[in-house]
Amino acid sequence: MVLKSPLYKVHEELGARFTEFAGFEMPIQFSSIKDEHIAVRKSVGLFDVSHMSNVWIIGKYAEKLISLTTVEEASKIDVGKSQYTEILRENGTVIDDTIFMHLKKGKYMIIPNAGMNEIITNWLKDKAEEHNLDVKIEDVSREYVILAVQGPKSRDTLQKLTDTDLKSIGFFACQYIDIAGANCIISHTGYTGELGFELQITPSEKAKDVFYKIMEAGKEFDIKPIGLGARDTLRLEKCFILAGNEFEGGRTPLEATLGWTVNWDHDFIGKDALLKQKEKGDFERLTKLKCMGKGIPRHGCEIQKDGKTVGKVTSGTLSPCLGIGIAMAYVHPDYRKVGDKLDILIRGKPIEAEVVKPPFVDKEWAQSN
Amino acid sequence: MSEEVRDDLKYTETHEWLKITDTAAQIGITDHAQSELTDIVFVELPEVGKEVKKGDELCVVESVKSVSEIYAPISGRISRVNEKLEDSPETINESPYDDGWLVELEITDNSEINTLLDADSYKKTM
Repeated sequence: MVLKSPLYKVHEELGARFTEFAGFEMPIQFSSIKDEHIAVRKSVGLFDVSHMSNVWIIGKYAEKLISLTTVEEASKIDVGKSQYTEILRENGTVIDDTIFMHLKKGKYMIIPNAGMNEIITNWLKDKAEEHNLDVKIEDVSREYVILAVQGPKSRDTLQKLTDTDLKSIGFFACQYIDIAGANCIISHTGYTGELGFELQITPSEKAKDVFYKIMEAGKEFDIKPIGLGARDTLRLEKCFILAGNEFEGGRTPLEATLGWTVNWDHDFIGKDALLKQKEKGDFERLTKLKCMGKGIPRHGCEIQKDGKTVGKVTSGTLSPCLGIGIAMAYVHPDYRKVGDKLDILIRGKPIEAEVVKPPFVDKEWAQSN
Repeated sequence: MSEEVRDDLKYTETHEWLKITDTAAQIGITDHAQSELTDIVFVELPEVGKEVKKGDELCVVESVKSVSEIYAPISGRISRVNEKLEDSPETINESPYDDGWLVELEITDNSEINTLLDADSYKKTM
């Protein structure tokens, strides 16, 4: 079965082309991926990301359950804060990466990836039971529409629709808010590397009105509706993980260069495996590659050094901002120093690429272009 | 959106066009194809002099999200390629039937021309 966003008709009206992604028929683009991409980097764009999931974790032991099942120590995350983290298997590999929002004491909403709601809900329920933690876990994914407003003009756009001073909502803060006539959850987060906010709206019937009001408020900034195509190129220029690509086949946070998200001072599922891996040290790591020659690296392209295979591309595209091929790839630890030159095999032809420091596109890009 | 189909060209069901003159054919992709592919950002052209058989891979056209192989609609020897596309692949979007042509072939088997569609038949496939 293919699921549709409650805003499917709105997208159709706006001329969207659709694609299937993780069981959802979602807009891949409205006008052009490049134009949408640049609109978000320079001004503002509106995304419907309702394919993402929403799961409530509520109760006195909610904090304990989150600490047990993620790499974060939840007691460090105050009410009103959002946190990016990963949920691991016992063997240290990532089941899913997610943001959790601490909305009230003992009340959290987590945002698993598209199609992961049942897996995560069941996993959390199982772990709560195994550890005798009395927690209410409720999958409400289909009750919420999620809108992301992203870009340097996102705050100016949304500010017109609410009495709450949005400057008072810090980076990775979350709260309830009345916006565009709807009470929703706002989180100062995003997947574009730009200033931005994400709104969780329920009941979903209200979301259509909110969507149009945001489009209207953003008119003076030439706001554009944005599809999954630009969402992917925007995140890749900032080296953000796409779970389906970068965790494919089972990868640990250390391999995915997410070690910085791991809070080692608490016990969590997968910790022992991570500690062992850390000690051994000889594992492939996610590596950022910029093409020197012409060609666009794609998922699955082989990486070579002097004709020897040393890695594989998980995500690749033409960077709309830079006009060159960029890729993330798992590469053998000996060949991934910044400045190292590797070949990416594109249709069998080696295209030279250089290992670079993330991100591919920095904050200053929009000012100088 | 109305997509242009030109009366003086031959077509394939896979949305290539051919401009046939005596023993040569200029080949490109149709207005419909460029519109479906959206922003074209990379083109890989064949080498001049290469012999291709009908159905062989002729070139590769990439948009931000997709890779599309263009197959030879007829057999021939590559006599010219549109090198301009290497620096300006978006020309295919802007001018699919004129400046955005891909390659020119010297036709080796005239009988294959009969397998191509005329403009009316092509319109019916869409």
